[in-house]
Amino acid sequence: MDYQKKELPKKFSMTGWALVASGIVIVVVSYLVNPMRASFNNVIALMFMTGISVGALVLVALEHLSGAVWSTPMRRVSEFLAASIPFVAVLAIPLLFNLQGLFQWTHLDVVKSDVNLQGKTPYLNTGFFIIRYVVFFAVLFLFYLIFTRNSYKQDDTKDQSYTSRNVKFSAGFMPVVAIVLSFLAIDWMMSLSPHWYSTIFGIYYITATLLAGLAATTFAAVSLSEKGYLHSSIGPDHYYSFGALLFGMTNFWAYIAFSQFMLIWYANIPEETTWFIMRWTGGWKYVSIAMIVIRFAIPYFGLLTARAKTDPKRLKIVSIIILAAHLFDMYWLVMPTYSDTALFSFFEIGFPVLITGILIVVFSFQAKKHNLIPIGDPKLQRGLDFHL
Amino acid sequence: MTAIDYTQEIPVVEGRPTASQIEEIVSIPMDTRPGKIWKILITITSLMLLAGTVALGYTFYYGIGMWGNNNPVGWGFDIVNFVFWVGIGHAGTLISAILFLLRQRWRTGIARFAEAMTIFAVMCAGLFPALHTGRFWLDGYLFPYPNQNHLWVNFTSPLLWDVFAVSTYFTVSLIFWYVGLIPDLASLRDRTANKLKKSLYSIFSLGWRHSTRHWQHYEKVYVILAGFATPLVLSVHTIVSFDFAVSVIPGWHTTIFPPYFVAGAVFSGFAMVQNVLIFVRQAFNLKHIITLNHLEKMNQVMIVVGMIVGYAYAMEFFTAWYSGNDFEMFTFINRALGPYAWAYWIMISCNVLSPQFFWFKKLRRSIVFMFIIGVFVNIGMWFERFVIIVTSLSRDFLPSSWGMYTPTIYDFGVLIFSFGLFFTLILLFVKTLPVVSIAEVKASIPGAQPSHKGGH
Amino acid sequence: MEEKKIFSVAALFDTADEITRAAKETTAAGYTKYDVNTPYPVHGMEKAMNLKPSLLGIIAFVIGIGGVTFAVLFMSWASIIDYPLVIGGKPFFSWPAFVPVAFEVTVLSASVGTVVAMIALFFKFPHNSHALHETNYMKKVSADKFGINISVIDPLFDETKIKEFFAKLGGKDIETIYEEPFPKDIKMFDKRFIGVLVVTALVTSGATYLTLNKLLYMQPFSWMSEQNKGLPQSKSEVFPDGFTMRPPVEGTVARGFIPYEYKGMKDSAVINLSNPLPYSKEIIAVGKTRFDTYCSPCHGYFGKGDSRLHDQFPKPPTLHSDKVRNWVDGNIYHVITNGQNIMPSYEKQISRDDRWAIVHYIRVLQRSQNAKDSDFENSK
Repeated sequence: MDYQKKELPKKFSMTGWALVASGIVIVVVSYLVNPMRASFNNVIALMFMTGISVGALVLVALEHLSGAVWSTPMRRVSEFLAASIPFVAVLAIPLLFNLQGLFQWTHLDVVKSDVNLQGKTPYLNTGFFIIRYVVFFAVLFLFYLIFTRNSYKQDDTKDQSYTSRNVKFSAGFMPVVAIVLSFLAIDWMMSLSPHWYSTIFGIYYITATLLAGLAATTFAAVSLSEKGYLHSSIGPDHYYSFGALLFGMTNFWAYIAFSQFMLIWYANIPEETTWFIMRWTGGWKYVSIAMIVIRFAIPYFGLLTARAKTDPKRLKIVSIIILAAHLFDMYWLVMPTYSDTALFSFFEIGFPVLITGILIVVFSFQAKKHNLIPIGDPKLQRGLDFHL
Repeated sequence: MTAIDYTQEIPVVEGRPTASQIEEIVSIPMDTRPGKIWKILITITSLMLLAGTVALGYTFYYGIGMWGNNNPVGWGFDIVNFVFWVGIGHAGTLISAILFLLRQRWRTGIARFAEAMTIFAVMCAGLFPALHTGRFWLDGYLFPYPNQNHLWVNFTSPLLWDVFAVSTYFTVSLIFWYVGLIPDLASLRDRTANKLKKSLYSIFSLGWRHSTRHWQHYEKVYVILAGFATPLVLSVHTIVSFDFAVSVIPGWHTTIFPPYFVAGAVFSGFAMVQNVLIFVRQAFNLKHIITLNHLEKMNQVMIVVGMIVGYAYAMEFFTAWYSGNDFEMFTFINRALGPYAWAYWIMISCNVLSPQFFWFKKLRRSIVFMFIIGVFVNIGMWFERFVIIVTSLSRDFLPSSWGMYTPTIYDFGVLIFSFGLFFTLILLFVKTLPVVSIAEVKASIPGAQPSHKGGH
Repeated sequence: MEEKKIFSVAALFDTADEITRAAKETTAAGYTKYDVNTPYPVHGMEKAMNLKPSLLGIIAFVIGIGGVTFAVLFMSWASIIDYPLVIGGKPFFSWPAFVPVAFEVTVLSASVGTVVAMIALFFKFPHNSHALHETNYMKKVSADKFGINISVIDPLFDETKIKEFFAKLGGKDIETIYEEPFPKDIKMFDKRFIGVLVVTALVTSGATYLTLNKLLYMQPFSWMSEQNKGLPQSKSEVFPDGFTMRPPVEGTVARGFIPYEYKGMKDSAVINLSNPLPYSKEIIAVGKTRFDTYCSPCHGYFGKGDSRLHDQFPKPPTLHSDKVRNWVDGNIYHVITNGQNIMPSYEKQISRDDRWAIVHYIRVLQRSQNAKDSDFENSK
């Protein structure tokens, strides 16, 4: 292994800090101007960032579990992205003080006069909600620590048993993360319209999460590899794998989203259709149509050909579009509860800026501490030799 | 337990056979006369076919009133079996297309066989809706052609989508399978001395010359077909799930159905492929081509999809409660505690509990044990469809229109017929065509590909 | 014996590395019309042979786009234009419900189309008479050897030179492959050929005849269409009058139908009956269509009594006479309902409302034929 660690430029982390600072300013201002709207944006931000960081962690686990080798040289990128998990948890803290503003089911008087909501109180109550939130993020952070500790230790010892340990933990992690992500989605997004329900909602969010984690990893890995921070053996075949996975997951997202829409549209039961009607009136119609375009059509046609999947420039552009689409998707899921008409202003900008900043800062911090490729991983050489 | 060496790839083929040895081994079943076991097995399956034919004859002559379907439970064994068989078929396309796209090289040894199983399973599946129409000789009307009634089919009906999905699936699987067979048939053509065989192989290999100018297009088409088959396999069981989920019957109308059905299909399909492969590798001495590692991988896939199915069961239960909808809640309580609770608990124990044993490496690699679990999974998946269809239909909204479902002997007869058909076709397949893709296995033995020394 | 035609010069190699090198060298030596035959696709061979990338991806894409377009247009046409049916209260163009079929048609057409294009257009298969078939070379590459052969159509083709070239590369079994001579004595009227032709013709036409005339009309069992029940218009064994269809009981009144109370009475009795319908444009338009259908054959389109029946039926008097113009509405209605002289009753053919509409229309006709100057002034 001929790996010489290259430090990321100082400018990189400075940009991150600048973004964090400006993000915090906008967020604070928006909280002061309109705390309601800021809270809803905070939910969007929470779910958006969960997507990136937990999605990246799932990718790490998936690599261990499936025994994939092509992604091993880029695994550190996912691990660094996943390091932002504790910050996601922090992001939710302002919301815990404003649950009343977000969720109808926290209003005891409303629940009292609503038989349907009364039935849900064993699940939808403030105490249990906060417990779930704490447990979920604690569990995610615990698994993050396990995976990365083993991985970093392996850099020095080159001991294969760390890999097999990680494989075992990954097997345990998958069912846990499926449950955690499903219930996070139900808690923070589905219960915004407390009467509405859809069994596929958890899978919808899991898909979105994976897509976001993958897109963020792709963007970071391709950018770093192009500038020579990773290994010179990483080439078109690795890029192709990223491109193919992004393409496949985009299609899978479309499949899940269409299935949910189709079944509710076809059965036409009022208690279910309200949710889509909310998203088809008062300007939300155009947001919904735009969703189809930027979340499905653009990535689909952008990555359709084999050449596009190996083109680093194309991959970077499409993964940024997918990340934007992920944010847009969360906006589409959350905001119609807040407002009957589609709306956009500086409120919606603050959190994404802050999150980008956090991700960059965390990434550069991790990159300073650790090697950018897992030099001790037994699969590394195979990963570098990977050919389709 | 030995530790895995992660620096080395697990070999696809064990024992370092040469290319010509592989060809030799794979063509043994085609070159030798059938053995005793094969004869016994085909006798059994033919008898099953025969017994089933009697049931079919009664069904044709007297109509589907011979079955147990009744007024609240209008769909019984027929649709249960249909969904079951379509599900079995899904593993084949998953192995041949999705694992191909994911570059999972362990699929090489088992892809051909799984594809053949897909085709046979879809044939069995197609039988049931065709019969269920009552007058099967009028099934041509299911296709939109300019007929004398100047009517078109109902394009908004999920039952029509089924017609399109199943026939597309059958056609594409057949093409996929055949395209894969062409080079192998050419190899067989060039090695056989038998004149009749030679002319048959010549006709079906179309004059394949192993030319690189052809391989180039061939490989491209294989990727394209895999690319098409992947969403297709999802769409087929999704559309099957739409048959139920677009309705408003409690327990049927739930949005998780599409991915849940697909996972279930893959689950049962893998169990069936694993079961049959165990026999094939034993009987035809293919143990170093269809290795224990391959079977272990299949078992690992089975835990994953088994967990997905378990997730769906749990999510359905949770949402039924969360929805606050009386009918939904009742349906799920009725499933677990009602008159068909036995079916529900068979389903849970076979589908969710039994694959949990595969967490243990030792059990995952024990042939006898994995075979038993495979059988359990198949039983469980059959009962899953039974639970979904029968419990929801027998007790829906109005207690005054509830009713029980009891299958008749003719229902079982047709089920036996489908099993007979499936296994007879498999037995014929293993004696007439290469059960393993010769070209693909040759391409994956060590040293088969040029070394990448000197970079790229 | 004449000289056999050369097809190509071929050589065999043992490993994938060797054949890749050989292909690279052959390309470098300037040969273009050559082929490499390997038992399985060897990675990187297209690059070594400098082949253009396959166009089949584009073909699949084009056929797929064609398939989805056709499917959507066809379903829309069938369910919006050709035979619109409201199903489940959904709009005629229910695009979400079209997605599954459109998707399946796309996949089906694209996969079948691509494979057919590959086999028929790119490979020109079936092709079992190729010169390479049945050669030692073919048998070897079919099993485990890797072969290369340079065709005679290559501009640089020179048998001895190529053989030396292959030998230098380390090729084994270097040989010249000849074209199979084309058989000369092919007779047009060979007995076997004619026999096959006749049999094919008989089988095809027989099968077509049977399918179209017998099979399609076969009823495996007809218990549903031929039930033991009385059909309309058939003779009954049960009822003494022999009719299967039973007349309604005496005095039965249809739902929503009020019997005409002046039935059979004189005109003078009905003066109190007034038109219940408003005198509006829509009603008059209805009256016109009914009048044109039922009344105009005898009374003429303008009620002038100018029958279109060419004296096969007596001409009625004009409706513009003073007598009819001075009738009250009820009187005209009574005549339509009850009949008069030779005119039969139209009670059964024309509904009650339509009869009143006709009355309005007749008033319009009468006015049009006897317009006053003031009408002209008013219409200005």
